[in-house]
Amino acid sequence: MESGSYITMTSLFHQVLVGLSRTTILFIVSSGLSLVLGVLRIPNVAHGSLYMIGAFLACSVASWVGGAAGFWVALVLAPLGVALSSLVVERVLFCRLYEREHLMLLLFTFAFMLLCKDLVKLIWGAEWRSLSAPIVLQGSFSIGGLPLPRFNLFLLVIGPLVALGLWLLTNRTKIGKIARAAALDREMVSAVGINVSWVYAAVFVIGCGLAGLGGALVAPTQNITQGMDNTIIMEAFLIVIIGGLGNIWGALLGALIFGLTDSIGVLVWPQFAIVFPYLAAVIVLLFRPKGLLKATW
Amino acid sequence: MLKVVEVEKTFDRFMAVNRANLEVGTGEIVAVIGPNGAGKSTLFKLIAGHLKPDSGRVVFRGENVAGLAPYRICRKGISLSFQVVNIFHRLTVFENVQVAVLARQKRSFNLFTRARTLAIEETLDLLATLGLSDVAHQVSASLSHGDQKLLEMAIALGNRPELLILDEPTAGMSPEETSTTMELIVRLNAEMGQTILFCEHDMELVFAIANRIMVMQQGVSIMQGSPDEVRDCKAVQDAYLGGSR
Amino acid sequence: MSQEPTPWKSIVVGTAVLVGLVCCPWFLSRFYVYLVALILVTGLLATSLNMVLGLGGMFQFHHAVFYGMGAYTFALMLTKSGLPSWCAFVAAPICAALLGLAIGVICVRTTKLYFGMIQLSLGSLVWALVFRWYSFTGGDDGIHGVPVPSFVASGKGSFYFTLVVCGICLFVMHRIVQSPFGRVFQGIRDNSERSEGIGIDVRRHQLVGELIATFFAGVAGVLFVVVEGSVFPELMNWHLSLEILIMCLLGGWFTFLGPMLGAAIIVVLRTVVGVYTEYWTSFLAIILMLLIFFLPEGVLGYFLRAPKSRDGRARPEAE
Repeated sequence: MESGSYITMTSLFHQVLVGLSRTTILFIVSSGLSLVLGVLRIPNVAHGSLYMIGAFLACSVASWVGGAAGFWVALVLAPLGVALSSLVVERVLFCRLYEREHLMLLLFTFAFMLLCKDLVKLIWGAEWRSLSAPIVLQGSFSIGGLPLPRFNLFLLVIGPLVALGLWLLTNRTKIGKIARAAALDREMVSAVGINVSWVYAAVFVIGCGLAGLGGALVAPTQNITQGMDNTIIMEAFLIVIIGGLGNIWGALLGALIFGLTDSIGVLVWPQFAIVFPYLAAVIVLLFRPKGLLKATW
Repeated sequence: MLKVVEVEKTFDRFMAVNRANLEVGTGEIVAVIGPNGAGKSTLFKLIAGHLKPDSGRVVFRGENVAGLAPYRICRKGISLSFQVVNIFHRLTVFENVQVAVLARQKRSFNLFTRARTLAIEETLDLLATLGLSDVAHQVSASLSHGDQKLLEMAIALGNRPELLILDEPTAGMSPEETSTTMELIVRLNAEMGQTILFCEHDMELVFAIANRIMVMQQGVSIMQGSPDEVRDCKAVQDAYLGGSR
Repeated sequence: MSQEPTPWKSIVVGTAVLVGLVCCPWFLSRFYVYLVALILVTGLLATSLNMVLGLGGMFQFHHAVFYGMGAYTFALMLTKSGLPSWCAFVAAPICAALLGLAIGVICVRTTKLYFGMIQLSLGSLVWALVFRWYSFTGGDDGIHGVPVPSFVASGKGSFYFTLVVCGICLFVMHRIVQSPFGRVFQGIRDNSERSEGIGIDVRRHQLVGELIATFFAGVAGVLFVVVEGSVFPELMNWHLSLEILIMCLLGGWFTFLGPMLGAAIIVVLRTVVGVYTEYWTSFLAIILMLLIFFLPEGVLGYFLRAPKSRDGRARPEAE
């Protein structure tokens, strides 16, 4: 077991960039969960499965469309597919459960997660999949001798764009404002005559779509495997909690903490790199049990 | 026994209680009256510790208890019966009261004795006092509203408090239940010397049984005095007694 | 107290089950004896969870950590320390309880979902440490071939040991449920604000409850190693934690034996259905969903409540 090897400024900078691109994925997935948990109060354990389905779906779409356009089409269709199927599920099942206790909702979504796992096994089989990035995004830059994949840079650009888009959605559109109000006081909102049910459906669909988007974006960077849902869901939950439930900027902050502690951990103590984000989460929760930024409940 | 001095409580810029003052002597029945939203329930919760006052003192038997945790205040001798029924809904009536008695007897950490052999007499006595003996083994969630209010009181009494605070004890009760409850309050005070602080909307009852009355409006204590003094006070008449509830 | 008729049905059924359990190594094959032992261990674990979940209303989302802690402590003490085996038997549940206290102290500052989520994060930290500390804990391989003492090394030996220890633990836990602490704890579950108001230090009681639940989870961990002979990080995974929650829900978390029943159902499902299809988890998932929709009190809860559902008389003293 060896502690960090020779750490230079360049290697640190390089790792920070790597960490930031991981932050993008984490942020996109966590913001979806933050919406669902913050507004609808559903601790959706199946959120990770949607991420995994998004990744698998992206692989399939890309290989079906083929060629350079494959990735871009997949980037649009995969999240859409996830969003649409989640709409169906919400209308059929979830909308009847909103008044239930959290524990029941948690277990219900856990059941869903099990179903999704088997669904993936059924449709895509047990082997790994992979997806190559389009030509324009392949290859890497050199940062002081260390390679940084171009795709990571792409992610670094996408992240803030999604954040901005979400912020506009929740703060500047009518539906966003209704959703925020509904998060604070459901009865009031429906008493005012707004069809809360469809607002909830919209929030749920957007949240799930974000998970799918995260999956589609991560697809070119790693092998797509069966266990993807397990790791991402725990991270997403912790990010949402330490950021503050329902708070988009909180999700960003949490994702930053996670992404950076993980990548710096790799530099400092590779064997225990995965411990660092959890440790960071614990430290945050010790001092701010309700998260760093304001939660919706 | 109890002296509330200049207590204030603000919720997000809404001043629920604004410089409230109250005095309760040992063995007295004191009533707090005021229109809805006057801050009576808030005041009671502040005294019992479920809310912390922003400023002011709550002096109980010479000691300032403001800001202490509710369970500490309860152990000092104050017990609150809530306005909205706040019982242990999955337990039976007997068990509801027994929990309070066991807490008082400091047996709540006892892990090995069979609970159903403990504190039987005391619990049954209390149930009998409140007229709940025949429903003793019913699950409390299934009781009628009136019985639940009585159970609410029984739980508070299980602590054998020096000061019993009742927040609208007859709310939602039928006229018969109301008069039974009021008789009960008088009996508790007369026979057992129980000091009682309560609030009510039915003025006839309040004026009939209270030794002293404190009037609140919009979070402020307007005055405190004997029933006659209150009836004669012009400010109170203007603010409140003009139309009956 | 009221006169209760002697519960003949329960006594007969209970004795039959007990006799069946004691005799089963004589007429069941080795595999099935192992299965029954596994059911007992898992049932003990689920019952220990219910000590805080159903009894105290606490959202114990990561109970498996304490189970794994007990199992790992036991295995590590047997393989690495030179101490006699009885030390391992004693130390394991105590370590699990200490971890429960440490995590509990941080968690009880919040309630409900936040309590659960903080426990998940703390538990995940412990899991991550165990998972990566290859040199000490064997990492994701775990530790196999743990040298359990000879009297529990055989199939029959481990079974009877498990049976006896389970029996004792269930008895103790049942006494705790019926004790004043148990009553007060249920009061805290039903209404913690009121409990505070009648002089109960809710947090301290919750910590005591945690200690009890995690101690017995540690015992279950020890028994797992006795039956299985190995440990692995999956014992501490949040997946298992949710499974245990499901067992309690399935069997009925307002009854004492419900979790045991739930554990039996799930272990049997996994083994029996697992033979026919690799998609047995979907089977479980659908059952769970149906349960949540239609039987929120669980299987046992439903059967105990059904005949008396209308007149609201006292629940049977199965508690």
